[in-house]
Amino acid sequence: MSKIFAVALGILTAIGGFVDIGDLVTNAVVGSRFGLGLAWVVLVGVVGICIYAQMSGRVAAVSGRATFEIIRERLGPRAGLANLAASFLINLLTVTAEIGGVALALQLATSVAPGWWIPVAAFGVWIVIWRARFKLLENVTGLLGLTLIVFAVALFMLSPDWGQLAGQALQPGPPSDEPVATYWFYAVALFGAAMTPYEVFFFSSGAIEEQWTKQDLAKSRLNVLVGFPLGGLLSLAIAGCAAVVLLPQAIDVTSLSQVVLPVAEAGGKVALAFVIVGILAATFGAALETTLSSGYTLAQYFGWSWGKFRKPAKAARFHLSMIIALLIAVAILATGVDPILVTEYSVVFSAVALPLTYLPILIIANDREYMGDEVNGRAMNFVGQVYLVIILAAAIAAIPLLIVTGAGA
Amino acid sequence: MTENPDAFQTDAAPPPAGQVLDAHLHVLDRQVLDRDDVPVTTADDLELDGIEVGAPIEPGSPRPTVSAILTGPQLVMRLFGGHAPAARTIRIPWRLVSEVGTVIHLGVAGDALDATWAERWVSRHLIGRIPGGRHAPE
Repeated sequence: MSKIFAVALGILTAIGGFVDIGDLVTNAVVGSRFGLGLAWVVLVGVVGICIYAQMSGRVAAVSGRATFEIIRERLGPRAGLANLAASFLINLLTVTAEIGGVALALQLATSVAPGWWIPVAAFGVWIVIWRARFKLLENVTGLLGLTLIVFAVALFMLSPDWGQLAGQALQPGPPSDEPVATYWFYAVALFGAAMTPYEVFFFSSGAIEEQWTKQDLAKSRLNVLVGFPLGGLLSLAIAGCAAVVLLPQAIDVTSLSQVVLPVAEAGGKVALAFVIVGILAATFGAALETTLSSGYTLAQYFGWSWGKFRKPAKAARFHLSMIIALLIAVAILATGVDPILVTEYSVVFSAVALPLTYLPILIIANDREYMGDEVNGRAMNFVGQVYLVIILAAAIAAIPLLIVTGAGA
Repeated sequence: MTENPDAFQTDAAPPPAGQVLDAHLHVLDRQVLDRDDVPVTTADDLELDGIEVGAPIEPGSPRPTVSAILTGPQLVMRLFGGHAPAARTIRIPWRLVSEVGTVIHLGVAGDALDATWAERWVSRHLIGRIPGGRHAPE
């Protein structure tokens, strides 16, 4: 019985933990402009993150080595440092976006300007990392994040023309009134939102935090293979709501209040309350994960003591670097930059950074010194290499598309 | 190395028994853990005894041995080149190494080593002073 409970809990937290500020904003923006015309990208992204998370979890569980230890060891100090710098900075951008997201969600709940909530949000993230056990923070934010199912409920309550939605989803390609480059720009952004690199730092380091062994792999595979696709469905529901309510009225998504507008229209105040709790949990959970990831990447490259399973004083530089990362995020937000804008840039740059961590993991997953008999099978390697091509294509196209389209304007 | 027949003529010692390690491949840039599996550092560089950097190696000279794992300013040197003053180099004598696998294990506690001074400094002066810093998470 307790086993079934543990599996169910794992799956539920994987669903609730899938969506973050990047998914919320990007799916709503895309839905309001292209309907479900980019739904296929969510599908590609979800399969990609399943492969990627499963592979990095397996590498961590079998070899006991986390992502950036392996990157340093394989690429050497110079290429490793370049990789660290890029990954760390993009992760820092994501930390900033998530903290901003928490502040915006609190603004929705209270009507107090986000400027007041930013330091509160950052302090909240720090105190939880400082005091709460790893499993606890993962479970609480994951379960509360499940209230985002209200997006799916709202979509049904809006009783949309399902045929039209299916038509949009099944006929991919740029609509006649949008430039082709814009369509592909949002495809890359959506891909970056679904496959954010921090999820992999977090997943592989989390496997070590929870002291996974080979026996835990089956459970983790189930969590990933069931939880992430269901989380992907939530992403599609967000896009669907925007497609039904915002697209016909030509409303551009420039703030969180537009993201939740369809939910409020469908379910009134009760639904609005649910969606605010969900967004708060999702962004807060992702803020925890990204902040931890900034500590993980630095500590693993330099060989410092790290991990939430240790007392903070026994992983001092790890905790110090997370405090500094949070302070930088607060400083960036204090300039008054729009968190939604930070989010839009962070998902695009996430797509740029993906190959940097994907390729070393793919190589190590085939290395018998690390993996023994648990190396990738043929099917896994085939899919892994197909995704290497997709990830490289998205990474190379991202910056040119960003410039050509003026960030999708 | 075996392709040079002179190597066998000048060096009569038998091939080394046991595990053969490539210093560059198996030792450099690997995580160093202490006897309780606490990370100490990453192997930033190695100190070799028996050869002079830049000097030609005479045939017949004895095999060089790895005498220490180096860390601290060595990483900056490997990244950007140059030399660090010998006094600032942090050494972990090779005799402390108990096992080399996908990580390098030491047979001693990390807290006693020079290599952990930065960690101990941050712990004592910053992180340990924040309330709750010395307690396990709940």
